Amino acid sequence: MIVIFLRTLIIFITLVVILRLMGKRQIGEMQPFEFVVTLIIADLACIPMADVSIPLIYGVVSILALFLLHQLLSIFEQFGPTAKKILSGKPSIVIDKNGVNLTELRKNNLGIDDLIESMRASGYFSLDDLDYAIFESNGKLSPLENGEKNKEKSSLPLLVVDSFKAVKENLKILNCTLDELSSYLNKNGGKLSKTEVLTIDGNGRVYLKEKEQKYRILSFPLKEGVKW
Amino acid sequence: MVKTIVSMIIVAIILTGGALYESNFIKRQFVEFDSLLEVLYEKVENETAIEEDVLSVQKNWLEKKKYLHVFIPHTEIKEVDLWLSESVTLVQNKKWEDALSKVEVLRELAEQIPKTFTLKIENVL
Repeated sequence: MIVIFLRTLIIFITLVVILRLMGKRQIGEMQPFEFVVTLIIADLACIPMADVSIPLIYGVVSILALFLLHQLLSIFEQFGPTAKKILSGKPSIVIDKNGVNLTELRKNNLGIDDLIESMRASGYFSLDDLDYAIFESNGKLSPLENGEKNKEKSSLPLLVVDSFKAVKENLKILNCTLDELSSYLNKNGGKLSKTEVLTIDGNGRVYLKEKEQKYRILSFPLKEGVKW
Repeated sequence: MVKTIVSMIIVAIILTGGALYESNFIKRQFVEFDSLLEVLYEKVENETAIEEDVLSVQKNWLEKKKYLHVFIPHTEIKEVDLWLSESVTLVQNKKWEDALSKVEVLRELAEQIPKTFTLKIENVL
């Protein structure tokens, strides 16, 4: 029994640490250690049930061990914000008044596309629709809508520059070359190598966020017949 | 909070108690089984063993294994069953050398099985 307990303990700790390191991408609405419990418990219950050569007590002991660990961590979490931060992580402000915070996104192993996806799930399609967006420690996005949200929406914004790199497929949709994009950025006092995010919607409305600068809303001259 | 702590204490007591009982129970059963095998081994070695000797060891094992099934993987119990059955047949036919090797294996099993339940690094990893 003590051997099974210790084995469960090792697997549990490994999974909690790994999930904490993975950032918020892998979790959905659960704290990392709760996710680990859910992940293991189903298998623990199934194996002794399906394999008659294993005594049933092996499953029971492992489940009791998990319960004990879960309760212990729940109590530890209540010790204070530091304990909670160690165990579950802290919320990350990924959009603030200055726009998208790429550093904060990267800390959580998330990309711009992940952020846009989460925003879409919350009903926001443009990066400037939000004043603030916070990735909670349980992996959920909490948005705070921009008071001056643009109501005019004819198409989805295309991600044209993602983390200092042009997204070629979307440039093709825009019927725009890399040189044209670079010259557009130069004209507006920007540079591709300093552009964290650039999206363009169907009305030519541009969301431009450069490194260590507040985001800007610009206008892009869309070519004739360009639609998506 | 109180409910959480109480439930934790209860589970911790169950697990600790269970672990101690399991370790003690398995050790006791196999020490007893090994002492019977030791007697049988000496008789087989001296070629004085009779069918009843080995049958009594088998009967004793059948009693023990009912409870050992709770803690030990059933495949390991089956292994002891098979070696014991072979020993019975070999002693009945007075094939002493073969019987001796089977009883030796049984003694080794009686020594090794409880070891897999002790708190050792090789068992945990």
